Amino acid sequence: MNLSPSSPRWLYLAIQRRRNRGLNGLYLVVAAFLIVYAILFPGLLSIGGFSKFSQNWFPLALVTMAQALLMLNGGISLAIGPLVSLGAVVAAISMGGPAGAFGGFVAVVVAGLVIGALTGLIVAYMRLPAIIVTLAGSFIITGVALLLLPRPGGYIPDWLSQALAGHQPTAFALLVVILIAWKLFLATPTGIGLYAVGDNPVGAFRSGVPVERIRVVSFAISGLLTALAGLFVAAQTGSGDPVIGTSFTLNSMAGAVLGGVGFLGGKGTMRGAIAGSLLLSVMINVMFFLGFPPVAQYVAQGVIIVGAVAIPVFASRWRKA
Amino acid sequence: MDVTMPLVEARGVSKGFFGNPVLKAVDIALYPGRVHALLGENGAGKSTLINLLSGALRPDGGTILMDGRPVTKLTPQGARAAGVAVVQQELSLAAELSIAENIGLGATPRRFGLIDYRALRDRAAAVSALVGLTEPLDMPVGDLPLGRRQMVEIAKALFRRPRVLILDEPTSSLSAHEAGVLSGLVRTLAAGGVAVLYISHRLNEVQALCDHVTVLKDGMVTADRSLADVSAEGLVRLMVGRDPGDAFPAFAPATAGEELIRVDGFSAGAVRDVTFSARAGEIIGIGGLIGQGQEDFLLGLYGAIPATASKAEICGVGHLLASVAAATAAGLAYVPADRKKEGLVLTHAISANLLLPSLGRLMRRGLRDRTGEASLVADLARQFSIRGDTDRFVQALSGGNQQKVALAKWLPLAPRVLLLNDPTRGVDVGTKREIYLMLRAFADAGKLIVLLSSDTPELVHLCDRVVVFRQGRVVATLAHDKASEEAIVGAAMGLGIEGVAA
Repeated sequence: MNLSPSSPRWLYLAIQRRRNRGLNGLYLVVAAFLIVYAILFPGLLSIGGFSKFSQNWFPLALVTMAQALLMLNGGISLAIGPLVSLGAVVAAISMGGPAGAFGGFVAVVVAGLVIGALTGLIVAYMRLPAIIVTLAGSFIITGVALLLLPRPGGYIPDWLSQALAGHQPTAFALLVVILIAWKLFLATPTGIGLYAVGDNPVGAFRSGVPVERIRVVSFAISGLLTALAGLFVAAQTGSGDPVIGTSFTLNSMAGAVLGGVGFLGGKGTMRGAIAGSLLLSVMINVMFFLGFPPVAQYVAQGVIIVGAVAIPVFASRWRKA
Repeated sequence: MDVTMPLVEARGVSKGFFGNPVLKAVDIALYPGRVHALLGENGAGKSTLINLLSGALRPDGGTILMDGRPVTKLTPQGARAAGVAVVQQELSLAAELSIAENIGLGATPRRFGLIDYRALRDRAAAVSALVGLTEPLDMPVGDLPLGRRQMVEIAKALFRRPRVLILDEPTSSLSAHEAGVLSGLVRTLAAGGVAVLYISHRLNEVQALCDHVTVLKDGMVTADRSLADVSAEGLVRLMVGRDPGDAFPAFAPATAGEELIRVDGFSAGAVRDVTFSARAGEIIGIGGLIGQGQEDFLLGLYGAIPATASKAEICGVGHLLASVAAATAAGLAYVPADRKKEGLVLTHAISANLLLPSLGRLMRRGLRDRTGEASLVADLARQFSIRGDTDRFVQALSGGNQQKVALAKWLPLAPRVLLLNDPTRGVDVGTKREIYLMLRAFADAGKLIVLLSSDTPELVHLCDRVVVFRQGRVVATLAHDKASEEAIVGAAMGLGIEGVAA
């Protein structure tokens, strides 16, 4: 095959390499924070310390992916936190049932997929704004979670808690598996359709991309990731709690925005979002170790997020001027 | 050519939007191997016809035939399956995806459910080579300049191996070199049996490239003939030839008053190095094809976008107006084209809209002066013949009456200069006439009116002078007696027509 210099031998890999552009600054900041953290807390470099750290990060990474996925195709979800709670509740009440832990896992997966797909159907086919639909969804889901399990409780088998949140980096391994699955998904027509729909829905439609179907699929996958984050949180705490996920809604957006995912769709990368969630997670840990009072932590977090979004904007303006 | 059948044909198709007929019984037939030009002024119905042929819209009447068979419900998918590919003016690309992914989008070769990147690479490389795209295929489209994106769009159409290729102003953002590559490509495709429909405002390009021409005027076909023996001037005449009608008030030359606007070396947005002056009492027309910098010219004068000038004097101010507030204070008013988005608050009452610019002036001891407001609203409604209850939402009015409100609300500020951006777009004939009469009356009262219009007859019949823009520069300034439709359209398309003083 006679290839011109403009066609790389491994097109997919070349495309994936290009996607790092604009993210080097973020990678550097994340690395810097990690180094500071490792200096403050040398235990990070042990297996146990790394395991604990990645377990703290893992659910945030999942919900950030879930949020970034929606933002990439032009949507958003305000129901991330409640769905995490619901995932935890479903796990906690079904794992003690006749179907056992596996049955509970299936129940969580089904709950995430179905709720996500339903939301997607309403957004895509009834053409209602995602922010409103998921706002309503967040109330409904919270209500359902509270109905199912009015106060923290339920049952999570001890071995599952040990396996997921013990002294081995299982969470990190799972994250790697999920990232590989995402890479595969990006290599499907639906995967690139996701970007096209977010950036230019009319153009995508004219190109023959099934716009509505892709919206539904992205909401379903997003729901699945969120519910799985809930399952993990339940394993971590050993029980279900109907309001445990609340903080994840805003943190998922914060992670995605830190990672450079745009609110208007089609802009950003999943690797950026993951790095953003890592940054957020390390940032919280570092501030904790530096002895910031919790209130100051919130303020600092907000300032850093605004800064992270503003700096690239101003940088590009200066470059233009 | 007689033995071959058209690949796509429209017979007597018509289409209207909201009761406005846009196409009336139009016939067009695209034959294999023929490059067919579609010409017409802004708003002649070209885009609507393309949308009908590509299944994006359904005709209200008439039939579309594919390979000689009538198709009752043509969908975009159906048209694609029949081999029709359209390169629209608005690109259908996604900025974050690579060139290759964009080219293949919606039709990617796949293996085991995944995109077959190897096949995609080979086929995308092949079509990229055809259109002369040398950038790496893995480059995100967002990193390309506009002209190169247009080439990606064309490559994307070729990727689907079309039998019918519709190109809607493909060269508007291309460099001369890229346009040359494209012409070569179109010839190659036609030689290979592809039917090409080519829409362009560049007449020399059309003459060099096309075999056959269909000319649309006001939604009707005025010519369907071989291009062999038509001159560029002949084409322009076919595009504009129409009855002037008596929609316009009698023209009266302006009694030149005080000079209100004078700018030298004026640049703003797409506008480059324009020299312009106008006096009180004049109506100055701003013409040209859509998007040649006319709007930026008005916005720049109005201080709404950053502008520079080597010398400027506007309403007695010795420099450019830096902000909208400064412009309003100096006596300028701007009426935007998109009245629904920029000109009016649709969900507020007519009276509220009419009062908006004057709320600050009608104050008494820091409070609103209800009596003053009511009499002002009544005055404006009478003056602009806005009939009915002024407490209705503006939304409830017809397009023409909405435009009257958008115009009327500035009058209490007594502006000396009215900058009007296409005030009659989408306005019915009767209201158009009312608006023309008002403009005439304003000019007679000593106001300067700068009228940007996409409607050429308006420029011809209303204006003391017509300034024609092309690619951000003024290419012609035509006095009233020289401003024929032919001259304006010719200048807009870059033809040097006799009597045109640039």
